[in-house]
Amino acid sequence: MLEILRFGVILSFCISFIALCHLIVRTYFFNKKPVFAKSQSRPIKGIFYALGKGMMPWEKESAGRHLLTYLGGILYHTGIFAAFFYLFMLVISHRLNSTVVFILRILMFAGIFSGMGLFLKRSTKSQLRRISCPDDFASNLMVDVFLLLALTDSHIFRFRPLFFAVAIVMFLYIPVGKIRHCFFFFYSRILFGLFYGRRGVLPQNKGDLGAENE
Amino acid sequence: MNNTGFTKDPYKEKIDKLDSKKIRKALQIFDKRLLSDYAAFLNSCVRCGLCADSCQYYLTYRDVESIPAYKINLIAKVFKKYHTQAGKRISRWVGAEEINKAVVEEWIDTLFGRCSLCGRCALNCTMGINIPYIIRTARGALAEVGLVPPGLQSTVDTAIQSGNNMGISKEDWLETVEWLEEELQQEVKDSHAKLPIDVKDSKFLYTINPREAMFFPLSISAVGKIFYAAQESWTFSSENFDVTNYGLYSGDDVASGEMSKRLIDSLKKLNCQTLVLAECGHGYNSNRWEAPEWLSQKYDFEVKSIIQVIADYIREGRIKLDPSKNQKRTTLHDPCNLVRLGGLIEEQRHILRRAVAQFVEMTPNREKNYCCGGGGGQLAMTRFADRRIKVGKIKADQVRQTGAEVVATPCHNCIDQFMELNKYYKLGIEIKTISEIVAEALVLSDS
Repeated sequence: MLEILRFGVILSFCISFIALCHLIVRTYFFNKKPVFAKSQSRPIKGIFYALGKGMMPWEKESAGRHLLTYLGGILYHTGIFAAFFYLFMLVISHRLNSTVVFILRILMFAGIFSGMGLFLKRSTKSQLRRISCPDDFASNLMVDVFLLLALTDSHIFRFRPLFFAVAIVMFLYIPVGKIRHCFFFFYSRILFGLFYGRRGVLPQNKGDLGAENE
Repeated sequence: MNNTGFTKDPYKEKIDKLDSKKIRKALQIFDKRLLSDYAAFLNSCVRCGLCADSCQYYLTYRDVESIPAYKINLIAKVFKKYHTQAGKRISRWVGAEEINKAVVEEWIDTLFGRCSLCGRCALNCTMGINIPYIIRTARGALAEVGLVPPGLQSTVDTAIQSGNNMGISKEDWLETVEWLEEELQQEVKDSHAKLPIDVKDSKFLYTINPREAMFFPLSISAVGKIFYAAQESWTFSSENFDVTNYGLYSGDDVASGEMSKRLIDSLKKLNCQTLVLAECGHGYNSNRWEAPEWLSQKYDFEVKSIIQVIADYIREGRIKLDPSKNQKRTTLHDPCNLVRLGGLIEEQRHILRRAVAQFVEMTPNREKNYCCGGGGGQLAMTRFADRRIKVGKIKADQVRQTGAEVVATPCHNCIDQFMELNKYYKLGIEIKTISEIVAEALVLSDS
């Protein structure tokens, strides 16, 4: 039974990955147009900015103003990556040492805590509820359950079939709903970096003028 | 006015008469204009709502309709419905929705009436979604079926029909330049001082905001004086002199392209090397960044703002300034299209530090500035004027906090909005372009 589920996890992961790649490729070729305006700065700088400094709370006002949500988001996603890593190790039957497992448990616990916090925020704030759709709640809950089962599995073996089953459902759901942003996040941030990088807005193309205006 | 911002008028009747054929057409145009990047963005929004307090409409009204995520999801809903499998099969679950009359009505009220396309939300979006450009695309779909609010549409129409957005005739334009030239000659005490028109092989073709010719001729004189002091080779065109491009705001790429193409045609006809744009935020964004895309054309000439030109003159020592001639405490408003979307950030500061005795920054500033509220075509859409004035309070408060007596801003849209804010919020400030301030500080060689 467990072997079948393990195979199911691998298969659903592959399906999810292929579907997401297909989605990205389709989006990339959707009314693709070349860019004609001459760049003012190197676009690559914008990409580095968008994926690094540009996400820091001192750089981005929305992150700085909502520090708790921002930190919650970081912990949530770190927890998810920890759970994915843990699942991957289980699937390839690699035994992790106790220190690594301990660290993963902390990250997964923080992830669950943050995920539930974000769920509560979405459920209780009326304006946030109004901009949400059922998928927003379902995706959050699904990932929370996945995290919870990953954490439980690191303590109690008998929940593993359930953990694998939830992982299968989650992988299959990723391309359908909001969790697709796991791919689109990077795509969007790169586009953001390209746009502002080309125009010399972010990072600012200060040159000698900027230095003297500091 | 009712609570959706509409009064009973021909425009409202036009909306009431919307049929499915027109709605389908709007959708087709939306699909055609929606670029790959925007499709990626529409797949990305996680509706975290963190963008809310980056928008001056939300900060003013605190209503859900003003949250940028809400605005973009009005568009994303339609995109999902027609372009994603989940949107087609489990619409409600993923928040997809068919385009219909109610959706179009909400698009009009929200995308035209609650957004100045300032782009502050995009900077603060967790995913980095370029919200103003997607909103502009949706506005373009509405433009195609004649649903741009009348004031904005008539500004575009006037520019297309007469060659400039104020409908100034060639004769009037030539007359204006003639008397401004006489004024300049008297001011600099040199009968050879010129405001040249149609001079072939000049280095610069200089364009203006037609409002300058009608209401703010001093800002044209100011630039003339600066060019005179720098002994520049430049010219106006007698035919195409309008730097503005309200197609950027209506979303109409065809009209936008046509307006920008006219300037290029004049530049080529006069064999000039550089297109120099007057102090106009959206004119800069349109002609520097967007026009090559509208026209699918790489430029073999330079496009510069007059701000860059003046900053170069100062650096090269071609003009000399005496800041003591501008003693009043001066602050700077960053026009969104010039700064956040245009990348012209430090030049105006470089200039002001040399042209005024006391320069003070607003907080926040540069790319993080707040919009004055006049952008996005808001100044032309009278039906949303109440909202425009109310959202301007944020900017009025910013100005008050600086204690400045003069607000410098390199944009005539911003100047118009500031003039209204000045009256409404009793700011007691003077509003000037950068060129006007520089012209006052100029030290001419014979003086």
